[in-house]
Order: sequence, then structure tokens, then C-alpha cells
Amino acid sequence: MVTRGDGLPKPSGLKKIKKKDKLAEIVPETYKNEVKEENKKNKSLGRKRGVREMRSRSKATVVDQHDIEVPETYMNEVKEEKKKNKSLGQKRGVREMGSRSKATVVVQHDIEDAADSKNNERKLLRKKKRKRDRMNTSEIGKVDEQHDYAEDASDKQNDEHTQGKKKDGKLRKRGRSTEKKKKSGIDQGNVLHDKVEDDSKEENGKSRKARSGKKGHLSSKKKEKLLEKREPAQNEIHEISSGDEDSSKGMKKWITEYHQNRPGLEILQQRIDDFMTAYGEQQEQARKEQEALAAEGGWTVVVHHKGRKKTTDAESGIAVGSVAQAAVLEKEAKKKSKTKDIGVDFYRFQKREAQRNEIMALQSKFEQDKKRIQQLRAARRFRPF
Amino acid sequence: MASDTLNEPTNLKVRELLKEVQLDYSPPFTKLVDDTVSAIKDAIDKIPEDLQVTADVAPGFIRDIGADKVEFTFKKPESVEIGGSYSMRCVAKPDVNVDVFVRMPKEIFHEKDYLNYRYHAKRFLYLCIIKRYLKLSSVAQKVEWSTFHNESRKPILVVHPAMKIAEAPVVLVRIIPTATSAFNVAKLNMKRNNIRSLNQGDVLQPTPKYNSSILEDLFLEDNAEFVRRTFLGWKELGEALILLKVWARQRSSIYNHDCLSGFLISVIMAYLATKSGGNRVNKSMNTMQIFRVTMDFIATSKSWATGLFFHPQGEWSTSKAERRASLESFPAIICDQFSGFNFTFRMTKGGFLELQDEAALTLSGIDKCTDGGFDEVFMTKVDFPAKYDYCIRLNLKGCMEVSALGFCLDDECWRLYEQKVLSLMHQGLNDRAKVIRVIWRNTPSGCNLEDGLSVLDREPLLIGISVDTLDKALRVVDIGPNAENKDEALKFRKFWGDKSELRRFKDGTIAESTVWECKQWERHLIIKRISEHVLMRHLSLSQECITTVVDQLDFSLLCGNEDPISFSTSLLEAFEVLSKHLRLLDDIPLRISSVQPLDPAFRFTSVFPPKPHPLALSKGVKPRFQKLTSSCIQSLDVMIQLEGSGNWPMGDVAIEKTKSAFLLKIGQSLQSNWGMTCNATEDNVVVFTSGYAFRLKILHERGLTIGSNQVKRVPSTDKILNMCNMHSSMINGLQGRYPVYGPVVRLAKRWVAAHLLSTSLGEEAIELLVAYLFMKPLPFHVPSSRITGFLRFLRLLSDYDWAFSPLIVDINGDLTPKDEKEVNVNFMSSRKAYEENMQNPSPAMFLATAYDKLSEAWTRSSPTSSELRRLAAYAKSSANLLAKLILQDELDSYRWECLFRTPLNNYNAIVLLHRDRLPYPQHLLFPSELNQGMHVVRGKSSKKFHPLLLPGDMKGSLEDLKQKLMVNFDPLRCFVYDMEAKFPNKFKVWYDSLGGDAIGLTWERSGSKKRGREEMGEEEDLVNVLKSVGEVGKGFVRSIYLPKAK
Repeated sequence: MVTRGDGLPKPSGLKKIKKKDKLAEIVPETYKNEVKEENKKNKSLGRKRGVREMRSRSKATVVDQHDIEVPETYMNEVKEEKKKNKSLGQKRGVREMGSRSKATVVVQHDIEDAADSKNNERKLLRKKKRKRDRMNTSEIGKVDEQHDYAEDASDKQNDEHTQGKKKDGKLRKRGRSTEKKKKSGIDQGNVLHDKVEDDSKEENGKSRKARSGKKGHLSSKKKEKLLEKREPAQNEIHEISSGDEDSSKGMKKWITEYHQNRPGLEILQQRIDDFMTAYGEQQEQARKEQEALAAEGGWTVVVHHKGRKKTTDAESGIAVGSVAQAAVLEKEAKKKSKTKDIGVDFYRFQKREAQRNEIMALQSKFEQDKKRIQQLRAARRFRPF
Repeated sequence: MASDTLNEPTNLKVRELLKEVQLDYSPPFTKLVDDTVSAIKDAIDKIPEDLQVTADVAPGFIRDIGADKVEFTFKKPESVEIGGSYSMRCVAKPDVNVDVFVRMPKEIFHEKDYLNYRYHAKRFLYLCIIKRYLKLSSVAQKVEWSTFHNESRKPILVVHPAMKIAEAPVVLVRIIPTATSAFNVAKLNMKRNNIRSLNQGDVLQPTPKYNSSILEDLFLEDNAEFVRRTFLGWKELGEALILLKVWARQRSSIYNHDCLSGFLISVIMAYLATKSGGNRVNKSMNTMQIFRVTMDFIATSKSWATGLFFHPQGEWSTSKAERRASLESFPAIICDQFSGFNFTFRMTKGGFLELQDEAALTLSGIDKCTDGGFDEVFMTKVDFPAKYDYCIRLNLKGCMEVSALGFCLDDECWRLYEQKVLSLMHQGLNDRAKVIRVIWRNTPSGCNLEDGLSVLDREPLLIGISVDTLDKALRVVDIGPNAENKDEALKFRKFWGDKSELRRFKDGTIAESTVWECKQWERHLIIKRISEHVLMRHLSLSQECITTVVDQLDFSLLCGNEDPISFSTSLLEAFEVLSKHLRLLDDIPLRISSVQPLDPAFRFTSVFPPKPHPLALSKGVKPRFQKLTSSCIQSLDVMIQLEGSGNWPMGDVAIEKTKSAFLLKIGQSLQSNWGMTCNATEDNVVVFTSGYAFRLKILHERGLTIGSNQVKRVPSTDKILNMCNMHSSMINGLQGRYPVYGPVVRLAKRWVAAHLLSTSLGEEAIELLVAYLFMKPLPFHVPSSRITGFLRFLRLLSDYDWAFSPLIVDINGDLTPKDEKEVNVNFMSSRKAYEENMQNPSPAMFLATAYDKLSEAWTRSSPTSSELRRLAAYAKSSANLLAKLILQDELDSYRWECLFRTPLNNYNAIVLLHRDRLPYPQHLLFPSELNQGMHVVRGKSSKKFHPLLLPGDMKGSLEDLKQKLMVNFDPLRCFVYDMEAKFPNKFKVWYDSLGGDAIGLTWERSGSKKRGREEMGEEEDLVNVLKSVGEVGKGFVRSIYLPKAK
């Protein structure tokens, strides 16, 4: 692994092009297929994309032939991508196409290289990304499946290592947009990884479809998603099965739950009895413990209860114990009437205070009204028609 | 002092209102008006003198009014003066009209031109010439015909001035011709006949309306000047006039040609402010006091019975008695001071009564409503659709019968037709109707009057009916005269035609009668049937010409071809049976002391009360299967209370478990004693009887006081149950008092659900909102039809000031002023908390009731303020559409359906469900489809569930079949629950709990999130989320769209 002393470290994958001639030879073939497929789609998308694609294709050829030039072109590519990012829509689609075709060229070598790249920085990055994408862990599983396909198709060269590698690639793709901002070689590498993805998927489009019967609907396909954005054609809509064979989700689950909740009266009764017994035991236990505590030292701390037995909860002030509601109300009413008898204006200061409070209340009400009117005016509440 | 502070908010508000509607007489604006008027004057001055004018200028008009000898030589007007409200500085925006009086010279009239419509013809021709020359000049952008108080024989010119200034409102100049002292006043006495063609033989028919029409022009300027002088320099009086104009304008049933006009209001006020009216209004009064005095005078004064008379001026003086005698034929009299001319000669009896009624309602609004009834008096639109219970629209375009006798008799044919329709309706509806108004605003501005009057039937005629008590209004049999009374019987039969039949009644009488037999749920159509029968029979109208607004929204409540409300009686019977059985149970530890119904179906407010299900019967009853048997059944909540016991456990969970144990015991007992099948889960115990499923709940009284979670402020189950119970009994009482309440609530609930707002506004909250309309109907009367009630509900939702006021629903009059104060304090503190925290106010919709002064019960967590905004916006557009549908000719039912069709593009994503997997597919209002946006997910439907019992399912014993019946199975709710569990706070789910097939999703954006951050990544993420959403609803989700994506 060679690194330059200064500047950006070269993407390792690109270097490998030179070493692995065999793969480089394979590439053009796959590439041709790719181009054909893309051309078909381009018809629907208009001329513009076609043009872009031609450009990128030529770039790809450059990569093929003179690997040294690659970083520069790639840098350009990155810049261009950034520009295009600003305007979504068709242009974005174009960029995808372009980069994908290029990826075809480069990436497969990268897979080989992946095993021996021990760049700490990169690992760190990956970790971060994992964190970010934790929510999508389910997706990763699906990605794994895709990688299976990818393996099948790419000459069965890939081993366990590459698979893991690709997984990372997938993750990276999710965070790609942030990474693009940094123009480090690592990032370039990452982006290239992404393209492995795209490419392998593209290649396996057909076989995947054939297999989808077996593997089922679960595999959510990144590439399909991208295509959807470009052309919401019928065949690219995510299909969901009826789920009749899977009771973890959907209608089947609800029906199963419905029936599970109705085991019959006896069983329900039994459950409640069990609960009540347990509850009773628990209560008993607590009581016993307390008794035991009391019995232990032969004495217990006595809390002083003032007056009669407590009938209201000290915290909430609500009546507890078996006191008839009416009795409580009556008592409260009595209490109130008693206080009323004395009167709140018994002392002069009380009178004065009451007066002041009244004026304060009036003042605050006036202020409130004024404020309200202002707000109403702002809301044009005074325009009758 | 005290009253001042009390009225402070009202006065502040009135000030603000005046600021909005008063015209700003800024120098540039007055200059604009003056310039325009003088330019008009110049243009008129340019008309050459001695221009010979003949009938050829406007042959159609002359022919239609039937005038002879109309030729004259044009002369310049004697004067062109600004008059009317502009000169009094009492213009109320937004209608800014500057009246210009053009005094026609005496010379163009002959002495006897008051005869035979000659005056009207010359007046029109004179205007025609002016119009021609105005069109040539540059002052007018457009000159149009309009009519003076809808009187088409007296057209006026409306000039749209070419000059305008940006910030000023649009000004229209109305050119009104006058004919001061053109004729001898004595010849226009009300008793005289001036249209010779009306004479039948030797009898001279008096022509009071025709005479008044000419008299009006003779003294128009004098009267206007008199009114102007009264108002001059009296600011409060002018302001009160503007307020009255605003008040009247909001009431389309009285601000009308047969009732009130701006000028008439000023005349009434001038009467009150002068000696003639006993100076009832004096200079020490403020604006609102004058307003009130005037209103009070209109509503209650006894003077109306004798007539209002201005003290006579100058040489013309006849005794009051004489003048009164001459004006006998008019229902209301305001006699001017010059000639014995009646200002209110256009006013009809109905119009006058309506005016008094409105004024009385306004007075009670001022007294009873908050802030002096400001909103009710000035801000609420009291238009035809919201005011009247039934609106009938007659499309009379091309109806020859209207003008069969000629266009202009003493009165105009359209006015006569109004009277004819009115009397027919009165005769047909009899005491069913409290008020019937017939109004035909038949002269739209901009029509071409030169070509004649036959074009004036384009607008529909409106009939508004307010019904008396519903019992009377929806009576099935009308008993006519006794058969022995031959004359009366014949008359009756002649009026009703084949509808009348001879019947023998229980008390032995044999009488002519009409019977309007129909099903109970179609009773509200009786009025429609009667009026259509009468109108078609007597006016020879076809059915297409008559549109009665009554049942247009019923489609949303029907199930198949009938209204499921008709099952309510059998439901109540079933409940009675259950209740009896429950109380008789003696093999349970505690006896049942009371049984209360909770479900809306028991109080007739459920949109779809359940139909009896053939499988939900007690044992021993043989089910009769219909063709399509639903596989699901809704249960109905019933609350029971047990006799007291000290043995209840204390913990929350333990209490609930004990309740369940009790319920299971009860269920078992019912099953073994009465053969009622019991279907139970740990939390819900449901028993089947008489075709219904009842879900039992126990209220544990002590649970109300202990165990409520004080920290989270989540009410305990018992508290909720208790509130449901109180709510239920309260609404039940209200429903008994107002039979129309139920249908209005059902429409309102259907509307809320149809717009996917089921989560935002709960059923109980809707019931309370509608209850408010019945408890506080001002400025209306209590609604008596479902459409009127529904329209008012929509307006309440959209117009109520939710941010600043609590809505207090006091159904039984339980709330004392002190209670109301308490509610206000609670409201204030909840809003204060909001201001301090700068969060959204909670509850956004403060609904206080006697049992819930803190608004905790139904609107605690929803609607949130954003949901409320959506609700209000939808309500506003629906209300506008509904009013338009009622007033305007719109015959297709599609537009009515639009009220319940929700736009699906207001959401970030739309999930469509498999319609055939909804538990009650018959409740689906409209199948939703989406053609735009991006299709993201498509799902297959599950075969595990079918809303109907398939033939394959019907095998097995009855008990097995009963097990197959799914109680309260609602895949939609399951789906929403799972979705929200999987993606908490990711999006908000909008759905229709009544059985819609669309779910809307809107992303919850936390404010801190940077906008526009990596749009693409986000979008990709969303697509992923939607895919998992689809997975969560596997077998149920049909497709998911991003409606906004391209």
C-alpha cells in the first residue's frame, strides 16, 4: 500500500487497477451491458441525460486507461456532483448514472483491496456512520442479501471480507452527502464503494427478480429507490405481499392478536385469580414484613397523629378511607359556613387588602382586554364583511 | 363608572369596528370624488339642448312598462348634487357609493305625465341620454344599469369612475334622477288611480304603490336634505347609523328591497332624533346607546301600529288622521313631512315582522352575550342559509306566468309573484312554519334594460322557512274542514287536489285531510313534499325548477338506502332488556345497582348506530341471515355500578383486575341464566343480546377519589367513565328537547371524520360544540333543520375566537355566574402558562361544561393548535361552499358531495387501504384514488380477513359461528397503533375512524432541525420509512403515495 507523503492519499482501489489486469479486462464487458441498459432508460428521460452519460462514459474510459489521471477527474466529478446536488430532479438522476458507469470500472478491484486496508481513520468514520444509521439496522440486513446477489454475479470472487466491506459501503452511502464535502481521498474511496453497490445491483437486476420469489419482498432495494425517484414507473413500485404467511406484521398479526386475547372465560378468570392471589400474597408479605420489623426489636417508631383518625390524604388533600362522600361534603360545607360567619373583612387590614385586590384585578382585566383587542386587531377580527 | 368599566371591551371593540368601516375623508379622496362628480356634470352639460327624445331610444323598456306619449325635448338638469350617505359622512365600507341627484327639469314633463307610466318612461329615457353621453366621455370606465331598491321601473345609472387612487376604496357613483315639484301632489294621493288600464269597468282601482313611486322622486332631494341636516355635526348619531348599517348588512333577510335600506335606517334615526319622534335620541347619548335605543324602538315601539309621522312642514298640512287613513294599505308607515309620502311603501308585512324579530334578537344578544354581544350583533353573518331552517329555490327563468298580466301594474309583477308564492306557502304549511320569507332579488346590476324587462327573471327566487316546534312542523296528518262544511271542504280539495282525502278520525269526525306518510327517518322531508306539491300544483312549475334544501347531505348518513338511525328503537329496547337482566342477577358477590348507557348510539348521535346482527342473539333465538352478513360487530358501552362494599383493593391495577373479575362473573352469569353469549378479553367483556353487542364497564366510585395519577395529570379510568356517564346523560336530555340535535351531530361527526380529522376532534367534543349551537343560538333562533345546524356548526368552528375565549356549554343551566367566572379563571391560567412557556396553548380548544370546568375531558390533548387551524380552515371553506350551494342554482349532487370529499394533496404521504378489508365497507363515503404524485408502495390484500361472512364460514354450529363474529375488530386502529409505536413522533397520522380508506401522514418537523439539510438524504429516508409503514400494514395497505413528489 503506497501513500504519498503529501496531499491526498490515493484511493487504494484505483491503484489496484494496474495490478489486477484480469479484472480490468472484465470490466469493459460489464460496462457495455450497463450502457445498453441505460440507453434504454434514457429514451424516456430525454436527451439531456444522454449527453451527460456520454461524458461520464468517456471519463470512465479515461480511468480505464490511465489510472494516474483518475484522481483529478474524480475530483472534478465530485465538484460537479456538488453543483448538481443543489438542483434535484432530473439532473440528480443524471449524476447517478454517470457515476455509476464509472464505478463499474473502478470498484471491483477495490473489493480485493478491502481486506488489507487498515486505515484507522476510515474505521473511525465508519463507526460514526454506524451510529448515525443505527435506526436503519434492519436495512443492513437487507443489504446483506443484496450482497449475496452481488457475489453471485461478480465472478464469485468475493469472500467474507468483501461482504463486510460492502456493508460498510452501504453505510457510507447513506452518509455520503456529508462526506462529499470533505475532499479527502478516503472519502473518494468511500464514494467509490457506493458505486460498487449501484453497479452490482444493476448487474443483478434480472437475477434478483427471478429470485425474489424465494427471498421474498423483504429486500428493499436501494437502487430501485433511486430509480423511483427518477421515474415512478409501474414496475419500480415497492411491492408488499399479503403477509398471510407471516404473523409478525399486518393483518395476520392483528387477527392473531384478536384471537389470542380471547382464550375463553375460564382462562381469563384463572388469570385474574392468579393475579389476585399474587397480589394478595404480596400484600400479605408486606404486612408480615412490617409486623416482623415491629416484632424484631419489640418496638416501633410511633408517629404522632394529631386528633382523630386521618381521613384526608396529606399530600393531595383528598378524602381517604371509608368516609361517605356526603358526610365529607357536609363537613366541608360546615367548615366553609363557619369561616364565612367570621367574615373576611373582620379586620381593617383585610378590608383594605380586599379593596386593593379588587382594583388590581380590574386593572389587570383592563390590561388584558386591551391586549386582546390588539391581538384581535392583528387577526383582522373587526372586519365584518 | 361601574357600567363603564363593564362595557369597556365592547366600546373598545366598537371603536375598532368603526375604524374598519368608516370612510376616511382624506383630502386626496374627497378631491377624487369631487373631480369625478364635476366631470360627470361636465359630461351631462355637453348634451345638446333641444335633442328630441322618442321611445325609439329604448323601445323594449317603454313597451314593457306600457307607457304612452313619451316624446320630449331634452333639457339640461336643473342641478347635479351629491347627496345620500356620502354627503352625510355615513358611508359604511366596503360598499362606497356616492349618490348624485340629477334633478330633471320640469319642462320635459307635461302636467298629466304622472299618468300611465309616462313619468317612468321619460325618466328612463332621460337617463338613457345621459348614459350615452357619459359613455362618450372619459370620466367613466363603465356605465351600468342598476335599479332603485330593486324597483326595475326606476332604474339608476352606476358609473365606475376612470379615476382612482391606490389606497382608497373603489368608489361607485350612482346617478339618481329626481323630479322635484314636477307634479301636483294632490293628484298622487294614495286613493287615486293613475293607471287607467287597470280600471275594471267604472271602478277606479287605487294605485298606491305607483303613486308612491312617483312621490318618492318628487321629494327625494327634500327628504335627503332633511335627514342630512339632522345628522350634520352629530358625530354619535352618524356613528350609530354606520353601526346599524353594518348590523343590517349582516342580515340579508332584512337588508332587502321589501324591508330595510340604508336610507330608511337614517330616516328612522332622524325620526327618533327630532321632535316628531319625541327626541328619543338626544345629544347626551353615546354611540352604543343610540344604537340600542334605535334597536329597542324598532323591536318594541307601539308607534308602529299607528305609524310614524314627521311633523308637517310649510303650507302642506292635513290632519294626522287624514294622512293615516290615506296610508292604510301599507303594513308599516313612516310618513314624510311634505306630502304624505310613505317612506316604507315597499315594505311588506313579512319584511316588517322579520325586522322586528331581528331587532328583538339583537337586543337579547346585547344583554345576554359576552362583551355586549359584539360578535353576535356585528360580526356574525345572519344570511338566508344559516337563518332559515328550510330554503327553497325557485328557478323561474323563462316562466311566462310571472308576467302574464304585464310587467308593471300598480306594483311590479315580480313583487306580486313574491306575494303569490308567500300566500301559497302560508296556506300549504299552515302552522308548521313560524316565518316564511320570499325574496326575489331579480335585478342584477349590469343587465340591459333598454331591451325590456323580460330578462329580469334570471336570478332564483328564494323562500326561507323557519319552522315552529318540530312536532308541529313534521306532523304527518293535516286535518282540514269537516266534510259537512261543503264550501270549506271544496276549497280545501281545490287547494290540495289529489292529495286531499276524506278520513274518519278517532274522535268520530269525518274531515278532509292530507296525509304525508313516510318512514320515521324521512320525516324531515315532509315540508319539502308539501311545498313542492303546492308550488307545482298552483304555479305550474316543473319539479326541476324547485330546489328544496333539506336532504342533500343525507347521503353521508345512509347505509344502503336507509338511515341506520331507524335501528335505534330496537337498540333501546335491547338495552332495556339487558338492563333488567343485569339488575336481576343474584349469583354475583355484589348486586348491580344501576346500568347507564354510554355509547352515542343510545342518544341518537352516532353516525352509524349498529344494525342488529343475526349472530348476536341470545341462545335459542334462530338467526335469520340476510344475503350479506357482516363478520364484525361494533360494541356499545354500558356502564354499571355495583352496590357498595368495603372489600375493594386499593391499588390502581388491583381495582381494574377486580372489575374484570366482576365483569367475567357477570358475563358468565348472563350466559348461563339468559343465554347471552359472552365474548371477553382481559379488559373488555362483551355480551350479545337481541342482535347487539354490549360492552360492560364498571364504575367504582371510590376510584374517583383515589389513585388518579396526579403527576402526569392523566385521569383515571374511573374518572373518564364518570365523565362519559355525565356527558351521556346530559346530551341525552338535550337530545330529547331538540330532536334535530341528533342529525346535526351526525353530520358534524361525519364531516370531521371525512376530512381525516377523527383524532383531532373527539365525538364528545363535537357533541358539545353542536350543543352550544342549541344552548346559545344568538343571533339566530335554535336551529330546526340538519343543514342549517350543520352550517352553523361549521361557522362556529371556523369563526370562534378559540385563542382568546373558552367555549362554555351549559346544557342544563347548571352554571352560576360564579362557576362561569371560575371557568374563565381556569382558562386564563391555562393561557398564561402557555405564554410563559411559549409552547402551544393547551387545550387549544377550551370546552368547559358543568362537569368539567377545566376542559380536561375531551380536548385536553387534541386538537392541538395546528390541528385546530386545519379544522378551522376546512370548516371555513366547507361553510362557504355550503352557503353557496344553498343560494345558487347548482343542480348536480356532485358539488354537495364535495363538502365531504377531502383533498388528499394536503399531506406529505397518503396511505390507501384495501377497501374490501375494511370492517364496514358500507360506511366508506367515497373511494379514494390518487392520480398524482409518486407511487411508492403497493401491497396485496390479506385473505385472512373478510368483512362479510363468506358461504364457507357459515358451516358449523351456531356457537361456532358466534365465535367467528369479531367484536370491535378494527384493522385501521391496529394499523395506526402499530405505525405510531414503530415510528414515534416521526409523523402525524390523519384518518377517518368511521371507515375511510385513506390515511394521511404529515411529517413532524422538530423546530431545531436545520431546514433544507440534505434534502435528498431525507427524502430517501422518508421513502424507506414509508416502505416500513407498508410492511406494518401488510395485507391492509393498498398503496402509498407521495402526493407532492413529481
